[in-house]
Amino acid sequence: MKFTTTLFVGAAALCLASIGTSALTENHTPVCGLGTGKVATGDPIKVGGINGNAPPGDFSGGTDAAAAYFACVNANGGINGRPVEYIVENDQWNPELAGQVATKLVKDERVVALVGNGSVVSMAVNAKLYKDQDVMVMASGCAISECYESSNIVSTNQGPLPSGIGALTYAVEELETQNAACIGFNIPNNGGWACDWMENFMESKGLSGTSILMDPTAVDLNSVYLQALSEGADTILLMLPAGPAIGLLKVAEEQGGRDLFKWVSPTPLYDPGVAEVLGDYWNDNLFVNIELTPFDSDGADNQNWVAVMDAFGQDGDRRDTFSQSGYISARFFVDALLELDPETLDRATVTTAIKGIENATSDLLCAPYYVGDADRHMPNHAGRMVAYTGGAFEVVRDCYDIQSSYLKPIRAQEKALGINQ
Amino acid sequence: MVYGLFLVSGLAVGSLYALGGIGLVILRNSTGVLNFAYGAIAAASAMCAWQVAEWGLHGVLSWFSAIAVGIGLSVAYGRLIAPASAWREPAVKAIATLGYMLILLGLVGFIWEDALRKISLPSDKIAITVLGVRVTVTRIIAFTVSIGAVIGMVQYLHRSHTGLNMRALADNRDHAALLGIPIVKTEALAWGISGALAGFTGLIFGSLVRLEPTVITFMVIPATAAAICGRLTSLPMTLVGGLFIGVVESMLTLYRPAAPLRTMAPFVIAALVILWMQRGQKLTFAKEA
Repeated sequence: MKFTTTLFVGAAALCLASIGTSALTENHTPVCGLGTGKVATGDPIKVGGINGNAPPGDFSGGTDAAAAYFACVNANGGINGRPVEYIVENDQWNPELAGQVATKLVKDERVVALVGNGSVVSMAVNAKLYKDQDVMVMASGCAISECYESSNIVSTNQGPLPSGIGALTYAVEELETQNAACIGFNIPNNGGWACDWMENFMESKGLSGTSILMDPTAVDLNSVYLQALSEGADTILLMLPAGPAIGLLKVAEEQGGRDLFKWVSPTPLYDPGVAEVLGDYWNDNLFVNIELTPFDSDGADNQNWVAVMDAFGQDGDRRDTFSQSGYISARFFVDALLELDPETLDRATVTTAIKGIENATSDLLCAPYYVGDADRHMPNHAGRMVAYTGGAFEVVRDCYDIQSSYLKPIRAQEKALGINQ
Repeated sequence: MVYGLFLVSGLAVGSLYALGGIGLVILRNSTGVLNFAYGAIAAASAMCAWQVAEWGLHGVLSWFSAIAVGIGLSVAYGRLIAPASAWREPAVKAIATLGYMLILLGLVGFIWEDALRKISLPSDKIAITVLGVRVTVTRIIAFTVSIGAVIGMVQYLHRSHTGLNMRALADNRDHAALLGIPIVKTEALAWGISGALAGFTGLIFGSLVRLEPTVITFMVIPATAAAICGRLTSLPMTLVGGLFIGVVESMLTLYRPAAPLRTMAPFVIAALVILWMQRGQKLTFAKEA
């Protein structure tokens, strides 16, 4: 009896402790795949991943997280006994190399799919290859139109278009924006694409929008800022990667621009390192749309992402939005493969399984994830808004969707699949 | 009023181009090397300055570390690699520095992985307003140093013994050697001065524009355009060229169709200057024979 009581009290204490520390990750055991705790020893399943990790940016967060998740899956029974052999290549932002590594993975290694891809160059170069070879890419770090307008690429991250319009939606509704300037790179399938749709959005609201496009290597950010000033904009949408966006904010700080404009940005500025470089000047004056849940969210799946990275990640792995996105892509991929017969699993069955993903949920996402058999994919177009305050980011608006005519074909897909986002 | 805004803004950026161009011309004048690694040296210097500040050492130490690293990397190339190509054609010497640029860029990328960083100088917080634009003291320093460097170097080249040696080397390396001019020492000095300017430019660039090694490395391109405006020999004209490029680039922002293309300004201006300099001359390769 005494033993039973002790056991009961002990178990209760453990439960309480686990509830009390649910937001902490120290003792959180990662949950992956079958969760058997047994190492998979069967015939490996080859899966590819391509990142761009070289100047001007490191897009390896998605493949880092996917690698960690697959390692966790392999340590927990694999795909019904078969481990995932994850082959990651770096295209180094080089189009020629991007083509070579994709060909190597798709044609030589015969991977069943690519997961966690994060590369600006590779998506533009290889979209046709993926379609011709009928191999699916469950990407995690996309920023160009090809990524969202291809039949065989589906990305978990939103990219600049929905996230930028999400930021602007908040600006119009909460900050009384009337005339927005979208500052982006002069790259047709990136800044040009996203800023054009921003202008359409503003027009649809009866408001004004203008695009200010700059060369990615532009030195004279001061003139870019001054152009926004001369356009009469009241809001600046920083449709830029974090580095140039920080440069522009610094120029604005020099010019006292905090009070002249409302400042909003899509996800890139939601980065663990931003607070260190921004300082106090921008407190309560910078609003960022985030595509996934905040890094410190105590949602079960977000905590599992942290636990997987802690237990199976490598030193130096990035813990950014791409990393969260890579984790989700890998998790949904594994969930889809677990439904297949491991003996007959090949590229064709995997492609069909990925296209069959519907209503996959995660607390990292605002809405269910799906793929479907379509000529374009954008399952994630609802996000949250955070404000930079006190050297950190605080959620100021929880999950909300965007309204853009760009999403018409996406809405039609969702309607056909019975998904209501 | 609007033009004034863009004029002041352009002069501020132009002074950075001019600083880079001046460093290139000083070296080219005495060694015959057009150093395409200048931007990479500036980038490595800026990153070292950031690292020293990150270690918690005094700001002054971090600024001087940028200049010291600039000198070190420049002189290292000048003493260890450049002598091997000293007697080769100017194009070969220039291409060799491209290799050094790639090595430095790779090393910087290896040591400091991609992340958000910034260099803050005390002078960033102090500003005056000129024609409606707040101009920070950092920008004024960049502008002043670019003018000071030109005046100082012109005086140095014409009034000092080592300056005379540099000019002799620039005129004819063979003859200078026959006259007993200490070539290695003189060239090392030129590499050092150029490296110090690269370190300073990197520091200012990292503070004013952004602390991204790739962006700082490729700052050498508009700097080369500024140097071409000075025919790769004239420091005052390089200064004027750099400032002119900065102002034109800035002013193009006002003309909407040209605004996205304004980064072409350095190349267009450099090409026009070359055409102007070549006016009335026949294209011939006779001099190279």
